Amino acid sequence: MTNPQTVPAHTRLPDQSRIVDVKNLTVQKMGQVICNVSALTVAKGERIGVTGSNGSGKTTLLRVLAGLEKDFTGVCEIATAPAERVFVHQSPFLFSGTVLDNVEYGLRARSLSKSDRKEQAAVWLKRLGLCNLANRSTRSLSGGEGRRTAIARACVLQPRLLLLDEPLADLDPAGIECVQQSLNALPNTTILLSSPTPLPDGFVDRTITPGPSSSHEQLRN
Amino acid sequence: MIRDGFRDALQLLWHLDGPVIDAAARSLWVSVLAVFAASFTGIAIGLLFGRKAFPGQQILIVLFRAGMSVPTVLIGLLCFGVFSRRGVLADLELLYTTWAIVIGEFFLALPIIATLTHGAIVRLDRRISETAMTLGAGPVQRTITYLREARLAIMLAILTAFSRCFTELGIAMMVGGNIPGRTQTLTTATAQETSRGDFSRGMAMSLILLLIAMTVTVVISLLNRRREEGAS
Repeated sequence: MTNPQTVPAHTRLPDQSRIVDVKNLTVQKMGQVICNVSALTVAKGERIGVTGSNGSGKTTLLRVLAGLEKDFTGVCEIATAPAERVFVHQSPFLFSGTVLDNVEYGLRARSLSKSDRKEQAAVWLKRLGLCNLANRSTRSLSGGEGRRTAIARACVLQPRLLLLDEPLADLDPAGIECVQQSLNALPNTTILLSSPTPLPDGFVDRTITPGPSSSHEQLRN
Repeated sequence: MIRDGFRDALQLLWHLDGPVIDAAARSLWVSVLAVFAASFTGIAIGLLFGRKAFPGQQILIVLFRAGMSVPTVLIGLLCFGVFSRRGVLADLELLYTTWAIVIGEFFLALPIIATLTHGAIVRLDRRISETAMTLGAGPVQRTITYLREARLAIMLAILTAFSRCFTELGIAMMVGGNIPGRTQTLTTATAQETSRGDFSRGMAMSLILLLIAMTVTVVISLLNRRREEGAS
């Protein structure tokens, strides 16, 4: 692992290249601050790791960016429509049905023809090593298989902003490799992924840690 | 007396006794039709209560909950008032027809299905709506998703309503009038035959009621077990 290099938290980027711009973001629940980010700017196509201990606000930050958490103070500007943002939960919910049904879910929402859905789903099932599980019921999947299904379901949409909450939990090294390859196949997607532990080398461009100062930003590679 | 009645009842069933089968068939189609109509309305109301917030919602939820325990004779009485000669819907001439029973049983089934569907929808995992939304599902696809994920609980609601309609007496007696061959159902016929002293025919009808009610109960138990297994 390379030595992380500390850089200014709020990187100055031209407006048109920014996809996320957060300033003085605070989320409170029952009087307790559960997430606090003083400044965060993310450029289009960047891949960012959100690290920190349990309860540091990683999930809340991703939920705010996904538009699922609206009760916050501060500025959170996202230069993409909600339909272009996809969030994958820390413990993803898979709809009843098969793995294929789940991977096709978002494509159906986008009114793709059946043959196009099948074709695109097959590509991502293969990338995530799920080809032979396509017709398996989601109720019978292991934790890692379920997580890869949820990631395939999100990646198949090729969103402009992909928010993955602890996507590497439950995954063995082969699974982590599959996820890395899949994310590499999304060059136009900005990806923020959270992890309580350091991410493998080369997985992200830089990492940030939510906190009052947001001073723990680190540049990798 | 019970043993003789039971033996005679089995003979009547074995020989497909006309009046018994006629009452059973009528009970079945009246209940199925009422529950079918109440399912569409009740599921829609349950979904509305579960997914949308609007003024007066809590009052309506409480009223529907209370509606689950309204005695069938009261529903029968209200329907009688509406369909009788001086009632607001007298012109429809529905009193003492099977359609009046269907309408009465519709109002019996509606609060059961709406309340239990509402309960099933609000208990759905929050991640279902969030996942559907973040994957770009529109209102129709989201609604289908909620119904699919709550389908066992909704099926339970429908079966519970059917069980209640199939075994009810008050509505069928008050607005059906217990006319043999026209509006007589299993429950009204059982009451009539027993009061006439034809215990075996009453017993035969009760056996059919019991058989169908037990079948529904077994299906409800199996569904409940599947739901609990799915939740664990």
